[in-house]
Amino acid sequence: MQRREFFKKLGAAATVAAVVSPSISFGADAPKKKGPNDLSYEAAVNAITGGKTPKKSNKIKLKVPEIAENGAVVPVTVEVESPMTDADYVKAIHVFATKNANARAIDVHLTPANGKAFFSTRIKLGGTQDIATVVELSSGEFITAAQNVKVTIGGCG
Amino acid sequence: MAKRKSLIKIKPKKFKDGEVVKVSFMVMHPMETGSRKDKKTKQLIPAKYINSVKFNYNGKVITTMNVWEALSTNPVFTTYMKINGKGKLTVTFTDSTGEVHEKSKKIKPKG
Repeated sequence: MQRREFFKKLGAAATVAAVVSPSISFGADAPKKKGPNDLSYEAAVNAITGGKTPKKSNKIKLKVPEIAENGAVVPVTVEVESPMTDADYVKAIHVFATKNANARAIDVHLTPANGKAFFSTRIKLGGTQDIATVVELSSGEFITAAQNVKVTIGGCG
Repeated sequence: MAKRKSLIKIKPKKFKDGEVVKVSFMVMHPMETGSRKDKKTKQLIPAKYINSVKFNYNGKVITTMNVWEALSTNPVFTTYMKINGKGKLTVTFTDSTGEVHEKSKKIKPKG
């Protein structure tokens, strides 16, 4: 009888702990994880486009590896088909790592003097996620492309 | 403060006036996010990452970049550039702690 009661109490205590603990851990973790620049992908895109939804386009060539062994160094190349004349050029290329705490990676503002709408760099990824790019054209249009990257070892901390 | 090492690379090495060439700017920089902990002292390593990069060719700004902490350690920035006469390409960057660095390269088109 004693043994049975003991298990009953244990079970009750466990459920209470299970109910309470998520809120506690959330409360403890949330302010710690929050960096000064943290911004979600949706909020970042909204801030750039001003509420417009960018169209998917095959004008953008987004080159990223399918599987990245090391999340700390993931090469990203963005190339956009554009004549790059004064009348029609690519104004900006924005690169996002959609699930990083700060989704923004880099904004590149180009001019017709670049001659070619191309940008490449290496970024850090915390885990498996999509890399997205939003391209602003001189006509005011926004186009987008995204690709998934599988990360074996995260590169953020 | 350690001296920053940086490099501007142009491909191809020999180019003509009016040609579009690939320009890479590399810099030795820690790109610390500010959320990483020191394994020995258990203290957060303060953030130090590049904020903005500017490509200036013959006094004209051709490319500006707003950078966040997601870029890798020792970042590389690669774009294209149209050669427009003799001159100088200057790349300037600022980081989150206020450090400013400048690197320039002479541009001499042949033919």
